[in-house]
Amino acid sequence: MAEGPRRRLRLLITLLIGLVLVIVAQLVQVQIVGHRFYEEWGREQRERTIVMAEPPRGVIRDRNGHLLAGNAVMYSIEAAPSFMSDEDKEAAAAKLGSLLHVPVAHIEQLLNSRDENGQERKWVQVASPVSKEVGEQVAALRLRGITVRPLWARVYPEGTLASHALGFCTVEITGFYGVEGFYDALLRPERVEWEGPVDSASEPIPWRAAPVALPQRGTELVLTLDRTVQALVEEELARSVQEYQAEGGTIIVMDPRTFEILAVASLPNYDPGRYVEFFDQNPPPFEDPAVSQQYEPGSVFKVLTVAAALDAGLVTPETTYYDQGWIEVGGQVIENASHQPYGQRTVADILIESLNVGVAWLSTQMGPDTFYRYVQAFGIGRPTGVDLAGEVSGQLWLPGDYEHWHPSNLGTNAFGQGLAVTPLQMIAAVAAVANDGALLRPHIVARRIGPGGEVSISQPVIEAQVISLQTARTLTEIMVRVVEEGVHQARVEGYRVAGKTGTAQIPIPGGYDKEGTITTFVGFGPVPDPQLIILVKLDRPKTSPWASETAARAFQRLATRLFVVLGIPPESVPLHAGGTGEGTVAEATR
Amino acid sequence: MRWVTHGIKRGRFEMSPRTARYLFALVVVLTLVAALYLMLVSRTAARGRHIEQLQAELSRLQRENEQLEVEIAREGSISRLWKRAIELGFVPAERVEFLE
Repeated sequence: MAEGPRRRLRLLITLLIGLVLVIVAQLVQVQIVGHRFYEEWGREQRERTIVMAEPPRGVIRDRNGHLLAGNAVMYSIEAAPSFMSDEDKEAAAAKLGSLLHVPVAHIEQLLNSRDENGQERKWVQVASPVSKEVGEQVAALRLRGITVRPLWARVYPEGTLASHALGFCTVEITGFYGVEGFYDALLRPERVEWEGPVDSASEPIPWRAAPVALPQRGTELVLTLDRTVQALVEEELARSVQEYQAEGGTIIVMDPRTFEILAVASLPNYDPGRYVEFFDQNPPPFEDPAVSQQYEPGSVFKVLTVAAALDAGLVTPETTYYDQGWIEVGGQVIENASHQPYGQRTVADILIESLNVGVAWLSTQMGPDTFYRYVQAFGIGRPTGVDLAGEVSGQLWLPGDYEHWHPSNLGTNAFGQGLAVTPLQMIAAVAAVANDGALLRPHIVARRIGPGGEVSISQPVIEAQVISLQTARTLTEIMVRVVEEGVHQARVEGYRVAGKTGTAQIPIPGGYDKEGTITTFVGFGPVPDPQLIILVKLDRPKTSPWASETAARAFQRLATRLFVVLGIPPESVPLHAGGTGEGTVAEATR
Repeated sequence: MRWVTHGIKRGRFEMSPRTARYLFALVVVLTLVAALYLMLVSRTAARGRHIEQLQAELSRLQRENEQLEVEIAREGSISRLWKRAIELGFVPAERVEFLE
């Protein structure tokens, strides 16, 4: 071969080798040095996090299976402007504007909006949430670039019924307050997401096997609440607040044998399905006063003081003392509410006539160690542990707390002053008396049903045997006499009921408010086998400051109806307790 | 291109019949494997699409079910029943007597 062509050939080979080396170097750069970067880049382009259709939040039912909180379908209307021509956008804006009742110009502006880099947006939300009907109408239009995505919305079919106990759920399906707040994690549905290939419209490509099982829905809760009892309680509460011109109030109904909450209602309340509208109120009515608001209970607390003195063996119901109308405890003079002396009285009389001097005498006889040991055993000063969000512990100062506790507290605490309880703490403490001295943990969820149908039943939790069975029965008989001899307004015809009033002053900075009171009545029956315990609390009633004229009357009306509704026969009818039973006929007359 | 080709010595490519048979068999096997793989992938894709459709249908039915339950609950709510009972002429019982 001639020298010229040979040189050219060598030159060509050299160039080709150089080119190959450059390519190899680039390959090394891409495949080895920058491997991770390019792999990630590629994956980002072809794969997305795919979230499977979210199942519904767990529903909430009453004890008989009636739906209290469910899930309705709503829709989110979304658009992908980068996939839409100008004509598509115009057509979509015109049609969506009329369906969504939104100005067409506004939708056009949304569809033509640009991101911070001046690029046409890949996704915009046109409207959310919209109703099922509107969403389905939009879907039927089959507009190019417009997608209709289903959403869940929490719905409360009973409206305001049991609003405080239920709580509410936000648009993001997060529960707050009540059962929704307490059991939020359990009620939440499972979220399943995975990385998978998508097409140019970000729709998943079924190129490889996706998770086959659908994500699990949230756990279903069956409450101890009975919606019929709840409705009657709310009706009575509304009537009492109006009739006695109170600012608000709370009623709790429990089964003292299990501490199941059958109904719990407070006013003012709200509609959990429209919770947004109540944010403007000051304060918003979301907290459940039954567990979140503490107050001085007043004379209802005397039940616990007498229980402690009887159980400690210090006195019997027949033990006498001389009531001179006042007693000095820790340097503070304590008087009866009537400011009158009562002379020779028994321990039973202390409750029947609600004598401040009598209970202060009992607490001083017991001494602080014994008195506060019993008070704490009754659950005062700590949360009951109920499964409702936002429970507070109340307020109980103890000897040794030199900043807050004063020796006079021993006297005032004995009749429910200088300490604070929640309505639930108070009813639970008295329920322990009705339950033969055993304090259980109040609860509102009867059973939980998992997404696979597995059932978990709430078992009663015994907190303490606070007083002996004998003491409890003795005290119950005294409380029956309270109703029969003292507070006749609470008598329920045909039934033996036990109870105690409490008319409490309202503490304000520097003393007590002279204008208003908080009236309470706690009663249970039928004695000797109590199946119901009811607490009625009314805030600042104006028609009368006394519990006997307000809360006790509300108790009487409510207990009369509930005994019938729950099939609890009167004493004169020897039927099986706790049910309507064979042979029972209820006759209704005007 | 003459100035290039004329400088390259043309080599002879010869293949024995045995090698040719092996090569042919290899091509056939590779083709079969490729076809099998393609079939598997397309079947996976088809089944994946079917599963997606079933999941979508299941979700739709679940939504429908939840919606219906809510509507039934609304129709049977205490307030609705109370109103309906009054419309039908029922009155609250004021005095109830238990009979033995």
